[in-house]
Amino acid sequence: MEPDVSIETSCMIRVAVLPIGSIAIPLFRDYTSMLVRHYTVSLSSISSFYTEHQKSPFAHQPWDSGSLRFKYMVGGSPASPWEDFQSNRKIFAVIGICHCPSSPDLHSVMDQFVTACKSYSSSVVQRCFAFCPGDSQLEDESFKGSNLILFPPADRQTQEFHLQTMMQDIAASLLMKFEKSVLQAESGGTILKTPLDSQASLSSEEVIKAKKRRLGRAQKTIGDYCLLAGSPVDANAHYTTSLELARLTGDFFWYAGAMEGSVCALLIDQMGQRDQVLDDEIKDRYNSVILHYRKSFIQDNAQRVSPLSFELEATLKLARYLCRKELAKEVVGLLTTAADGAKSLIDASDRLILFIEIARLFGTLGYHRKAAFFSRQVAQLYLQQENRLAAISSMQVLAMTTQAYRVQSRASTDHALYQESGQNHADGGKAHHNWIVSLFESQWSSIQMVVLREILLSAVRGGDPLTAWSAAARLLRSYYPLITPAGQNGLASALSNASERLPSGTRCADPALPFIRLHSFPLHSSQQDIVKRNHGRDDWWAGSAPSGPFIYTPFSKGEPSQSSKQELIWVVGEAVQVFVELANPCGFDLKVDSIYLSVHSGNFDAFPISVSLPPNSSKVIALSGIPTEVGSLKIPGCIVHCFGVITEHYFKDVDNLLVGAAQGLVLSDPFRCCGSPKLKNVTVPNISVVPPLPLLISRVVGSDGAIILCEGEIREVQISVANAGTVPIEQAHISLSGKNQDSIQLIVYETLKSSLPLKPGAEVRIPVTLKAWQLGFLDPAAAPGKNISGSTGRQVKDGCSPVLLIHYAGPLTYAGGDASTNGSIPPGRRLVVPLNICVSQGLSLMKARLLSMEIPAHVGEDHSKVQVETSSAEGSPRTDRFMKIDPYRGSWGLCFLELELSNPTDVVFEIGVSVNMEDSNTEENPEYDYPKTRIDRDYTARVLIPLEHFKLPVLDGTFLVKESQMNGTATRKSSFSEKSSKAELNASIKKLISKIKVRWQSGRNNSGELNIKDAIQAALQSSMMDVLLPDPLTFGFRCGNNTSQDFADLNLDEGSNIQGARKGSVRAHDTTPVEVLVRNNTKEMIRVSLSITCRDIAGENCVEGDKATVLWAGVLNGVTMEVPPLKEYRHSFSLYFLVPGEYTLLAAAVIDDANEMLRARARATSCDESIFCRGPPFHIRVNGTM
Amino acid sequence: MASTACFMIVSRNDIPIYEAEVGTAPKKEDAAHQHQFILHAALDIVQDLAWTTSAMFLKSIDRFNDLVVSVYVTAGHTRLMLLHDSRNDDGIKSFFQEVHELYIKILLNPLYLPGSRITSSHFDTKVRALARKYL
Repeated sequence: MEPDVSIETSCMIRVAVLPIGSIAIPLFRDYTSMLVRHYTVSLSSISSFYTEHQKSPFAHQPWDSGSLRFKYMVGGSPASPWEDFQSNRKIFAVIGICHCPSSPDLHSVMDQFVTACKSYSSSVVQRCFAFCPGDSQLEDESFKGSNLILFPPADRQTQEFHLQTMMQDIAASLLMKFEKSVLQAESGGTILKTPLDSQASLSSEEVIKAKKRRLGRAQKTIGDYCLLAGSPVDANAHYTTSLELARLTGDFFWYAGAMEGSVCALLIDQMGQRDQVLDDEIKDRYNSVILHYRKSFIQDNAQRVSPLSFELEATLKLARYLCRKELAKEVVGLLTTAADGAKSLIDASDRLILFIEIARLFGTLGYHRKAAFFSRQVAQLYLQQENRLAAISSMQVLAMTTQAYRVQSRASTDHALYQESGQNHADGGKAHHNWIVSLFESQWSSIQMVVLREILLSAVRGGDPLTAWSAAARLLRSYYPLITPAGQNGLASALSNASERLPSGTRCADPALPFIRLHSFPLHSSQQDIVKRNHGRDDWWAGSAPSGPFIYTPFSKGEPSQSSKQELIWVVGEAVQVFVELANPCGFDLKVDSIYLSVHSGNFDAFPISVSLPPNSSKVIALSGIPTEVGSLKIPGCIVHCFGVITEHYFKDVDNLLVGAAQGLVLSDPFRCCGSPKLKNVTVPNISVVPPLPLLISRVVGSDGAIILCEGEIREVQISVANAGTVPIEQAHISLSGKNQDSIQLIVYETLKSSLPLKPGAEVRIPVTLKAWQLGFLDPAAAPGKNISGSTGRQVKDGCSPVLLIHYAGPLTYAGGDASTNGSIPPGRRLVVPLNICVSQGLSLMKARLLSMEIPAHVGEDHSKVQVETSSAEGSPRTDRFMKIDPYRGSWGLCFLELELSNPTDVVFEIGVSVNMEDSNTEENPEYDYPKTRIDRDYTARVLIPLEHFKLPVLDGTFLVKESQMNGTATRKSSFSEKSSKAELNASIKKLISKIKVRWQSGRNNSGELNIKDAIQAALQSSMMDVLLPDPLTFGFRCGNNTSQDFADLNLDEGSNIQGARKGSVRAHDTTPVEVLVRNNTKEMIRVSLSITCRDIAGENCVEGDKATVLWAGVLNGVTMEVPPLKEYRHSFSLYFLVPGEYTLLAAAVIDDANEMLRARARATSCDESIFCRGPPFHIRVNGTM
Repeated sequence: MASTACFMIVSRNDIPIYEAEVGTAPKKEDAAHQHQFILHAALDIVQDLAWTTSAMFLKSIDRFNDLVVSVYVTAGHTRLMLLHDSRNDDGIKSFFQEVHELYIKILLNPLYLPGSRITSSHFDTKVRALARKYL
């Protein structure tokens, strides 16, 4: 059997094309390709070379429309035993091709050519084409007229023209030879035989038979020559004669041959025009051909030779002729029949050719699966031959089937198309699904595995390590769940064996392991955040981030693409990271020699790393790189160097695989079987690379990690920010964020502002004053048990620390101003400086309480005078000054806030208390400054804080309304003014509290302030009224006359009295005028009934009773008076002391018609209760008479 | 019963969703692959032939060596394909019809995603029983 047969084969003149001399294969192919273009030579073009020697037997030769057809047998072919039967099988011409520069000796070339021609006995024309001869060779005249034809060096067009002329010459020569042959055949007595005819000595009967048949066979041969000469009409005439004769003689084989020839003649005569009638005619005739070939089967020599191959060839010829989509059914029938014949074929190569032809015809028909099936049969036949070339052929044939079995190497698929489809799939849901399904179409895993295994086997046998590697990689990657661990190991070793025979750095289009998917694109670290600059605004960073409290706002729905595709900006020269997840679902250790991001745009330097994956494991790794040029950047996958070969792994592949796995279309999800959690499909963002931006780097000066502060500690830290980029910073702004923002007391913004623009490499230190916040009492970190070990551990979670946000930006145009940036403003950046503050426990407040006591004042003492005296008393101990005359009460009052502090830490604290009286000079001149109290570790100490001068001047009802409301006896009137008054009260409390500062110091440079506001407030809450509000009435006593002048005299008198060490003393046995002052502290008139008593040192009433030691004049009891608001009322009386000593004067008053306010102040429970107002005791010293 | 028979259900996406060797001949790995190859190749012919007739049972549409492929195409274009070496058209037709009913029952399962593999062991048992009965 012959490959590539068709009906027209019968009219093709075979020309052997042989390389002569030494000629490089590519050159030979090049020359041959020039030659084979002349497969038809029209008769009209050869007429000039044709000379009619005798009368041409081709009477009806169509000189104007006909042509000669050539079939070039490149490399030659062996002679066929069926040459007599089908003349077209003869090699009629031999063309040698010689490349002169490589074979300079033309004589030897000629010799070689002549030798080569000897094996083609049937050849009638021989020519040797010598290309590119040198000058000397051209000048050599000895070859003139011989078969050697020199093609002088010229351009290709000229050479082609030259070649065409030569072919026309050859065609003319052949035509003349055919004429001669026909004339010989008509007259000659040569016996035409085929291998089918008995080879044994002919019996007499057979000789007679052969003689009878000779004529028919000769007619058929002449017909063949006519066909070859391009004269179908002549051929048809001879064939018709031959058919008649053959039928008469029962020579079925030759009958069928003549019939075939006649069909060919018919076809040539039709000049390529086809219609239904012609098709039917040809079908009929060919069916008859096939039938007659079958009839000619002779059982005798079936072992040796059989007409079966002709029958099959005829079937194939018909199938090829009919091979059209609409006739598919008939063609399939023919091909199936032909395939059935394969079993009966004797020769293995015949079977090979048969299957090849069937596969080709099915392929032409569009039946790719059928074609692949027969191709695989071909490959198996090749593999049975057990030699290297056959294995390579097998491999190549199998490679053609891979598309039908959907196991094709990625190298063979159109990459652009691949990317294109990948783009489309992002578009829509429905289309997406269909696309995914189409991806997994024809998942015939078992046969796919067989095909890949056969490719691997043939590639190993054929010595093609790259194909072997590729097949093993595809097998392992796609079908690992179906392969046993032993098989997986085998494939792994096949991969490494193949790679050993490959040069290092070989690339393969098909990825093996591991599976790689995109894990995440880490956004910029907080140090490198890029913020779009909002041009024209002072706070340019605002508006770029989503504003408002909602993550989703319906108004920003404008661009749907925005939401699906996130934008990522990378900066030239700054390293970036991408996380990918690798999975090795196989049962062997996978060593990835290097893996790095694959970027086709060429503006990215990727850093390779090596990974090793244990069996059935997955790993997330960070791949990094540096963008090098401005522009957009796409990361389709990773380049992996594994098993000795470099492959590119696309993320999209794995994504599709995972989608398929999710739909149950693929065998297994490689990541899930490695125990990796399900990951949402990561979309690859659009990455754009922008020119260099400034880059701020911050650190806290003098601290490596956390700033450890005690509670309440105040410290100034310096934050150093440096420009690590290559662009100066022109704008910078600091803002605060995060929790505990109030712990940052002061940031010296000006330092940063003044240092702008910050040149690359420049550094600026920003001082920041920090005050540590209080640890929550419920904060487990502050629990004492933890605190012991907590000095090293992180006591405060990161979220507690405040964060400095520095928005900064470079100049408004890119450096260099190249066109690629097209005028956009370079973005700014945001540096997040987390102040990593660790607050450790400091002093803790155990208790705070109010202590108050009264010391009776001496009668007649003027508080203003005392003030003067005490302030002038230089040497007096300072503690004296704790005692102050309460100006509204008239007695010595001591009022302390006692703080009990404990020190659970292991350092010593020193406590200093200061009270600032004046707001104006708070820092420099605290009113009071007490000696430092030292609290050792694990000790508790108390600190006293005096509270004075906090009383309000007027007892205003408004303060008390809230009190009464709280007491439940309130009237319902609550007006705005009351509220504001209440606020005033609260404000004054706050003011009071804020004046008290408790500072601590520990060690040399740790200092801070205790936050005790809440404690003080709690302590003062109950007695707030007593501390702040004056009594409604103030009582005072004076000795002396009613006039202030007398009083003053008395005072002077007493002051000059040397013996009277104590002031305010009176003499016994003397009438002492005493005045009681009642001051109304309210804004309303108060009617009181005043009574005065005097007690001796024992507390006995010495004014009344039997043993009264004090005589008196005037009214002491039930003095009714009306005191105008904010005025004093004096009541005078006289006392006569009988016994010297210490006496106490007490004034008390019952308020008549007390209003609500007074009741509330007195905390009266019922409204008919009389309000009793008692003054403080006043001491009076009565001296003896001496 | 046929000595060699390979039954296969191919979904409309050309993905095999069920396969069973139901012949009596001793199982050979290579042969099983060969059966699948033949059935795979026959899909080309089914694809054209299915639209030329209204019948679901397409009879034997393809053959390779002694093995014949009979196909039954459901309305949803799921193809029940049988590779066999016997010529018992009636039995094969009955077999296909009964398997079709089984397949419909599988389709009615709300948990079965059409086009995915049939993993029901009940289905498998029934199909093998039907093969013993009719083939």
